[in-house]
Amino acid sequence: MPVSGIGAVGFTPFVPPQVGAAAAASTTGSSGVASASNGQAFGNLVLDGIDRLEGLQDKTDQLAVKAATGDLTNIHDYTIAAAEATTTTQVTMAVRNKAVEAFNEIMRMQV
Amino acid sequence: MGAFDMLRIANSSLGMHQTWLDALADNIANVNTVRSTSQTAYQAKHVMAQSLAGGGVGVAGIALGDPTGRVEHSPDHPLADADGNVRAPEVDMSAQMSELIMAQRGFQASVQTTKTAQDTYSSALQIGKS
Repeated sequence: MPVSGIGAVGFTPFVPPQVGAAAAASTTGSSGVASASNGQAFGNLVLDGIDRLEGLQDKTDQLAVKAATGDLTNIHDYTIAAAEATTTTQVTMAVRNKAVEAFNEIMRMQV
Repeated sequence: MGAFDMLRIANSSLGMHQTWLDALADNIANVNTVRSTSQTAYQAKHVMAQSLAGGGVGVAGIALGDPTGRVEHSPDHPLADADGNVRAPEVDMSAQMSELIMAQRGFQASVQTTKTAQDTYSSALQIGKS
């Protein structure tokens, strides 16, 4: 996917001032989202998800063509692939909506 | 292994039951297939299922029934030998019909599993929605 992250168009994530090593460790923890590298990881997560979704939809499309041409040996192969693609699309949309929501929340922030 | 294991396992079960139903359809279709006594009878197909390591079920193989069959007296039949005998397959119709219902119910149960899986995934997507 030739979609680049937000960082590529000149957006540098806001790095909050560190209160203290101990306090920072206790608030962010292992799942902290304050560092820039974690922001990159989230972008990769979304892109990986979109890649996988594309593969699933390709597979479903091929099975749909097989069903239309009468080459489909098992009906459930198509319906299961379609169900998986539908659910993955919904998951990807949910993640995207959350990301856009968070971005808008930050854009509305008064500085 | 992945997020859609429930669907994948149900898919493997649907495949196994589909094979079983195909084999039963073949057995029932050939229940009246008689041959001459010099040939072997139609051999009933028995699907052998096995569980898979990563979860799910697969077809281990298809065992064939008795090739001897039943020798029946039918002198009018064109394939009858000098004694008036033909060879009929050793397929028990009532057993095949019982297995047909079992395979159908197994298939339906797996379809229900896929529905439950989709409901579960949809529920998980509702988390965090206002």
